[in-house]
Amino acid sequence: MLKHTTTYGVIITLIACCFTSCTSISNNKAPVEITRPVIEPAKTYNPYVTVDVSPLDISYYPVNYPTQLMNGNDSAALLARVIYSRPQKNGRTIFGNEAPPKCVQQYGNYWRLGANEATEIEFFKAVTIAGKKMAKGRYVIYCIPFENKWTIVFNSNLYSWGLHPDTTKDLVTVDIPAEKTDKIIEYFTMVFQESPTGANLIMAWDNAKAVLPISF
Amino acid sequence: MKQFFAAVVILCFLITGARAQSKLPPVDKSPMDMSYYPNGYPVLKIQDKATDPIVARVIYSRPQKNGRTIFGDLLEYGKVWRLGANEATEIEFYQNVKINNIKIKKGRYTLYCIPYADKWTIIVNKDTDTWGSFKYDIKKDLARIDLPVQKQTEITEAFVMAFDKAANGASLIIAWDDVKVSLPIIF
Repeated sequence: MLKHTTTYGVIITLIACCFTSCTSISNNKAPVEITRPVIEPAKTYNPYVTVDVSPLDISYYPVNYPTQLMNGNDSAALLARVIYSRPQKNGRTIFGNEAPPKCVQQYGNYWRLGANEATEIEFFKAVTIAGKKMAKGRYVIYCIPFENKWTIVFNSNLYSWGLHPDTTKDLVTVDIPAEKTDKIIEYFTMVFQESPTGANLIMAWDNAKAVLPISF
Repeated sequence: MKQFFAAVVILCFLITGARAQSKLPPVDKSPMDMSYYPNGYPVLKIQDKATDPIVARVIYSRPQKNGRTIFGDLLEYGKVWRLGANEATEIEFYQNVKINNIKIKKGRYTLYCIPYADKWTIIVNKDTDTWGSFKYDIKKDLARIDLPVQKQTEITEAFVMAFDKAANGASLIIAWDDVKVSLPIIF
């Protein structure tokens, strides 16, 4: 990701660490401040790239496709994968009506569905989402969360940092219900689960969860 | 062979067991990361500073040294290694490039490594979305290149892959523990 933060002339401020997962939108053209806090700094000396406190992760559909392939079970074709970063709750209130720092993610505001780079979803065949056809390919996926619903947006501005979206490149917008979970989910999670018509993309963090149905 | 299957069955059991404990996946001990060329491309892009087109991206997992001797011990010399952990390491080129004078077309590939004490053989392979190097298929190799191992005085705790600008393209720096190699990518 970043080689030397200085290479980009960006300022790392520890104070801002708390907000890596959050998504304050700056509409002005002020320099973009990118924060890259390290995980266990003493243990992860690295002259090139520090280990991110909101690590990247990948989820496949079929679930665990690479391990299935390893085990010789290659009967089901690869259909989708999502690449996202996993911020932690870390004692904070994630979703709410109030602006940061009271709530990490204010209702009604843009959220990159993760941290750092914009979250990327790839479909390996055409899919239907909320009655809308989506061609095989790669998309940025982001969210505008509300208490009772999440607005999920597919966007074509690939390989971008997730600080703010280029809404002129929005492709498909879908509202899905948001539910409360019984247990706290410490790390933001995106994972596929099988469904009768295809797959559900489960998105969960803190005490909120939303399910995006995808039909193949 | 029987032992191998037994091992696979046990592994499946462990994986499903671990998954069964919580429906959602825990954070991995060897977290994933990605590096772009041009370096930090996504940041440059939203700053309107991405003057050069995107060329490459690598997605890999970052195991940590954690006090262990890595090369010649944790990783046996002469054996194929996934260059990371978990899923096999993926490299994507957004334009045609050359590695060891072999043309690699725009697309997604898996990178493997065979480490030795003094050199690493880096392999560009056509298979993608696989786990580890268990399914490594030499028939799917596109390019191989031997790179000299450079000793470093400072220890690199977490395995790292990052691009650097080079005279006729870019170098992919791969480092862990007290060694590093530099893979020339021509474009």
